[in-house]
Amino acid sequence: MSVTFHTPKRRLTQLLKTPGGLPLAEAIERATKNLGTLAGACVAEVGSVTEQAEALMARKPASFDEAFLTEFYGVVNPPIGLSSICGLDGIDVALHSMCDLLDHLKTTERWDVEAMQVHVQALKLLLHTESSQNAEQTDAVLSGLRKVSQRYAAPTDTPSA
Amino acid sequence: MGLDPRSRARFNLEGASVLLMDASPLGLEILVQVLSGFGAKNLHRALSIDEARDTIQRHIIDLAVVDAGPTGAGYEFITWLRRSKIEPNCFTPILVTAGHTPTHAVNQARDCGADFVMRKPLTPKAVLERIIFISREGRKFVECDAYVGPDRRIKNLGVPGDGQGRRRDDLPPDVGEATQPNLEQDAIDGLLTTLKVKI
Repeated sequence: MSVTFHTPKRRLTQLLKTPGGLPLAEAIERATKNLGTLAGACVAEVGSVTEQAEALMARKPASFDEAFLTEFYGVVNPPIGLSSICGLDGIDVALHSMCDLLDHLKTTERWDVEAMQVHVQALKLLLHTESSQNAEQTDAVLSGLRKVSQRYAAPTDTPSA
Repeated sequence: MGLDPRSRARFNLEGASVLLMDASPLGLEILVQVLSGFGAKNLHRALSIDEARDTIQRHIIDLAVVDAGPTGAGYEFITWLRRSKIEPNCFTPILVTAGHTPTHAVNQARDCGADFVMRKPLTPKAVLERIIFISREGRKFVECDAYVGPDRRIKNLGVPGDGQGRRRDDLPPDVGEATQPNLEQDAIDGLLTTLKVKI
């Protein structure tokens, strides 16, 4: 098996150094401001995802079903990162915990409807009440979810969060 | 890698052609807003592997930001790009974004040929730090049957835990007995003395 090492010229290195452009602080400020314009759309998307998760739970199978877990993962994975843009950071943590749970269940071929249900309920709770709840209560909910999802982690797995 | 946001340093992304790929329209819009804020004007958006491949075949790309997606479509695209032999795009710096990052997904990102993996939620500061980092680092590019992409050995942590090196120049962990006598002092001095050279 032959292995080749070389150092390709990447145009990006030169482009970034060309005169003009933006100071770091201004670039970060402008990007942050741009993201703020998406806050409303992010809240709506997270709401829609929560409804989809509830609808999926309504037709949950009675035993381990890999296709169902994959479908569920496909619903709750893409919105990670949206909630933090609209200031609902706790929802990102809950979605992350849910992805961990689904990943562990799929890997170990186990089934726990209650664990999934508690995550969906927590999503609803955090979406509708987080802004009015205190941080301590939110942390308690998230810590509980973590305990649930890590119950199925393989002994060598480290939490991805 | 940390950037000081108060720094007066400038950077210029205006002339860069950037590919953004995310299967989620809102996820893609987030990437667009961040890169636009950084001053990038030439953004190519892709919601699928097919759209991203099409862009790669028609435009020169200076930077790609690719979301892994729940099915790992992003990794599949990067593997294809690195082996596509479409120059210079096959060497382009690639940032991977991922919502869920268990160990197996990070390994997959590393092995598909990405330069860097970023966990969501993304912040503009973190994205800018990574863009500047990958533009500066000058990592070697490796091409072999099993892998095409930037050298994955960023840190030299020594030989693996079992003590068996895999690099040709790895030495055994145990130092053996000396096989030759120590050098005489004259010989050592001779190695260190500057000599006149006739040109």
